[in-house]
Amino acid sequence: MSTLILRAAPPERLDFLAVNPLALSGLSQSEAERLNVGTTRTGVRLGDCFAVKLDGSDTLIIEGGHERLDRVGAALSEGTIRVTGDVGQRLGAGMAGGSLTVTGNAGPYAASGATGGTILIEGDAGDHAGGAVYAAKAGLDGATLIIRGTAGDHLGDRMRRGTIVAGRAGAFAGSRMIAGTLAALAVGDHPGLGMRRGTLVLGSHGRMAATFVETGTHDLVFLRLLATALRGLSPEHAELLGRPLRRYSGDLATIAKGEIWVAA
Amino acid sequence: MAAWVKGGATDADTAIEAAASLLAKARAPVIAGLSADVAAIRAAYDLAGRLGASVDTAGSVATYAELGSLSRVGALTTTPAEAVGRADVILVVGDAAWQAPLLKRLIDAKPTRGRTAGSDRVLLAVGANAAASLAWPAEGGLPEAVGVLRAYARGHLAGDALPGQIAARLADAQYGVLLYDAAELGEAGIEMLQGLAMDLSEATRCFTLASGDVGQDRAVVPVSAWLTGQAPRSGFGRRVPEHDPWRFDAARQVAAGEVDAVLWLGAVPVPRPDWLSAVPSIALVADGEAKDAEVVIAVGQPGRDHGGVLWNEQRAALTFWPASAPSDLPSAAAVMAALRERVGTHQAASRSEPAC
Repeated sequence: MSTLILRAAPPERLDFLAVNPLALSGLSQSEAERLNVGTTRTGVRLGDCFAVKLDGSDTLIIEGGHERLDRVGAALSEGTIRVTGDVGQRLGAGMAGGSLTVTGNAGPYAASGATGGTILIEGDAGDHAGGAVYAAKAGLDGATLIIRGTAGDHLGDRMRRGTIVAGRAGAFAGSRMIAGTLAALAVGDHPGLGMRRGTLVLGSHGRMAATFVETGTHDLVFLRLLATALRGLSPEHAELLGRPLRRYSGDLATIAKGEIWVAA
Repeated sequence: MAAWVKGGATDADTAIEAAASLLAKARAPVIAGLSADVAAIRAAYDLAGRLGASVDTAGSVATYAELGSLSRVGALTTTPAEAVGRADVILVVGDAAWQAPLLKRLIDAKPTRGRTAGSDRVLLAVGANAAASLAWPAEGGLPEAVGVLRAYARGHLAGDALPGQIAARLADAQYGVLLYDAAELGEAGIEMLQGLAMDLSEATRCFTLASGDVGQDRAVVPVSAWLTGQAPRSGFGRRVPEHDPWRFDAARQVAAGEVDAVLWLGAVPVPRPDWLSAVPSIALVADGEAKDAEVVIAVGQPGRDHGGVLWNEQRAALTFWPASAPSDLPSAAAVMAALRERVGTHQAASRSEPAC
């Protein structure tokens, strides 16, 4: 179990793209300490901010996070990263496999473009969690994103595949969704605005756009299968599907193959 | 040349030296505003590359709402001249677009070109407005309202409610124009509006047109693309241009305490943001005053004090504007080139000391 222990708040945003168990396993102690993780003209090396302890294993513990740690676990393909504290933007962006846990809060664009693996945020997430970054084709793309706290606006914006489970979320949850599944206990206004396909399961919501039409109550086998799948991630969300559900279809402004299930 | 350092009037050389010293010792400098002619915008990117600074523009909220939508769904746009000459139906989306000078020209004239020549021009509105022949208050906000129009245009919603009537008028138009303000409508709304224009253009012609540009953002976008291959909000901290609209948002960077020096370029007058006073700043502005920043250097306004290439909103192109009242004020490009030279003589901030 390799560890990085934060010594003091970073003086600038740090880029952790190259800091993961696989990359560190090929480096010596001094090579790892000299990794340039800074983003300004001055630059910061990993050893400047962190006490580094390596053992070549596939588990990395980052003790003491900070909201300036960007791209933690980005492009992770195997192994485990656990952060005790906060992280910055693009947590697990483009991640393909492995497991990522953050005990604090995450910045914007968490799990953007992630194609595999599991990302757990025990605190809150910023805007565009599971959403697409500028000019990207898709947001979450196959990975599993679990947010125990509150997500910001545009949760799952343009997500294409995979599952998002969030406690609460802001406005425009699941907006412009291409496909995938998003479950939240409560969301703000305009869930699913501009969605093409995909499934939203909501405990409650703010204003529903006029381009969603109610299509009645249903008892479908699919819902029981979805409840089984969600139970492993969050029993609370699986219980939503046990309650009477109203189904909305939309967004009628697009091809309208999306659905929003709202628990009564 | 008028220049001030910490409120006191001084000569050009002292001001440039003070500015160069401030920039050279900064860890993460930002060059913001970029409201200037093409030569000065180029010089700003040159200086940013030399410094390892990041860049942001005066109107970047609107610019990124447009670029975000453009990067995903593309855009069907027209120019003000075409709209004035051909449009027989105008849909004004939101409140801000009503303030645009272009709208008065559209109201005052009838179409004069093409198949619509001589016909009446109909004005429709999303958002309450008495001047329009059909106005839909749209209580759910603009992105939802545009989505409802699109649903009617696609035939997914039917009926003769107000949005249905507006969609029908657009479908019957020979040359429809959807006029909007990018900052007000936002990325989600613009994407929906482009979708509406594309759906309508299956059967007739319909285009979007943004009003209310701030500063020279429309000049910055192509200049930054040809210099860096990226959109405006790029940073050079790691010696290669990195594009990140969130990280290099100057207002966010200042609020998060990540910036230690800002150079504000406002040769074409543009409102200065509040956050500018929160960090040590240098202002290269036309009609500068001592209180504008820590170091202020008055520069010529392109098109007035000296010639320059600026965005021509009328023609939707970059055009040369000769000096209307030539003066001996230096151009922003010349001041920035001098700064670039001077910065080179300073010792860059070193990371040899422990950073944390």
